[in-house]
Amino acid sequence: MLNYIWAGLIIISLVFAVGHDAGDMLQDTYRNGKVYEIELLFPENSDLNKRQNIRFYTAGHEKAFEAVWRPIDDTYEMIIPVDPEMPELWQNIAENQQASNRSEMLAEVVSINREPTTAGILLPKVRYVKLRAITDAAFDMAEFAVTLAIGLIGVMALWLGLMKIAEKSGLVYMLVRIVQPFLRFLFRNVPKNHPAHGVISLNMAANMLGLGNAATPLGIKAMEELQKLNPNKDTASNAQCMLLTVNTASVQLLPPATLVALIGTGVNELVISMALATLISLFVGITAAKIYERFHPEEPHDSNIPDEQKISYNPTNEG
Amino acid sequence: MQSIAVFILPLIIVLIPLYGIIRKVQVYEVFVDGAKEGFQIGVRIIPYLVAILFAIGMFRESGAMDFFMTALGPVLGLVGFPVEVLPMAIFRPLTGSGSVGVLVDMVSAYGEDSLIVKMAATMFGSTETTFYVLAVYFGAVGIRRVKYSVQTGLIADLSGIISSVVIVYLLFG
Repeated sequence: MLNYIWAGLIIISLVFAVGHDAGDMLQDTYRNGKVYEIELLFPENSDLNKRQNIRFYTAGHEKAFEAVWRPIDDTYEMIIPVDPEMPELWQNIAENQQASNRSEMLAEVVSINREPTTAGILLPKVRYVKLRAITDAAFDMAEFAVTLAIGLIGVMALWLGLMKIAEKSGLVYMLVRIVQPFLRFLFRNVPKNHPAHGVISLNMAANMLGLGNAATPLGIKAMEELQKLNPNKDTASNAQCMLLTVNTASVQLLPPATLVALIGTGVNELVISMALATLISLFVGITAAKIYERFHPEEPHDSNIPDEQKISYNPTNEG
Repeated sequence: MQSIAVFILPLIIVLIPLYGIIRKVQVYEVFVDGAKEGFQIGVRIIPYLVAILFAIGMFRESGAMDFFMTALGPVLGLVGFPVEVLPMAIFRPLTGSGSVGVLVDMVSAYGEDSLIVKMAATMFGSTETTFYVLAVYFGAVGIRRVKYSVQTGLIADLSGIISSVVIVYLLFG
């Protein structure tokens, strides 16, 4: 699934970029190869074969724009800084040209006349705008990802350090007491006092504190305990489906470390919204699982308890 | 509500070490030990961030993002769902570290304080990577027929996504 979405993003990007560039080419958006007639203003008695600052007029614009005149072998070039009063097309050309400096463009002088001094100039050709843009985006983002991840380390270290203290000081066990009363309702088929209850409540409590690293091994352990009770070893039992639902809904009361690092102190005001959203999704998930259970009736698991566990588990000694 | 929220982070930062001291935990050593994980996670998520960020960056830059948003925006707008948070809703159940990348992209596109980022962050914090959990938990015990657990997991995700949007609207909108 993820493979298709990911590849889809890249392929669709390429299709869109190629489509856009083909459209540009067909409509000749940038008038590639068009010669613009301009009127040049040289300082008095100047030599055309010297590099110098000049000004020029272009048709339909009052303002004289600045440029640098530069002789190259037998021809001339002009370096034209972008001016916000220039024709819009010119500005677009400068914006999308291939050269990395977007604040100026290099125009080739194709013809020149004296008295009055006019010239025909060719602006840089603009091609494959989007194709270049997506390539740049890919490279820039790859670089950005690393600087970002390194930047997140500090706050993540702070958060995970705190969470480790919470873990070691047994804050989890406080939550276990809150969770436990619900387990009988959630896992009705699991016999009372069965070891699965303990592991499941630890798993849920670790999830609540956002202790992902601690929660996953506990969840797997809980799954193994439930598997011992499961009569069909390759099919999930209702209890296992419930455990999975509870874990995917993930009751996180504390924000995950990556989020704290990314949003910073802004997480403050999100804690409440996250706690509310997570409780709603848990409630809906559990309700859905309970409804599905009705359509997949199961015998209580008491009879499935393996022999080695029957010794510690004594049904007559309940309550 | 806002004034309660201001206290949450400082309380966590102060109360946890305090509780640790009361329970006679070597708080300093334990903190440093946990903080080391920050470094590992930071390095571990890099490949995922690169994979997601460059693909989404290309998608945005090519104009495809705008196209799909203008196409889907009115449809989702009918139920009041902002189309900008759709990438998070799609990626969250599939990849945990990847959805960090999606969130990063949104922060740089819409700004940290925007409603969009608040919604996406709430989604990120309130749901889990359903398919990952499914693969790890059932894989560990060799279960192949998962019955209705994909449905219930996705129902939980969907309700988390919807309630994130609604709650952020109500609290900040």
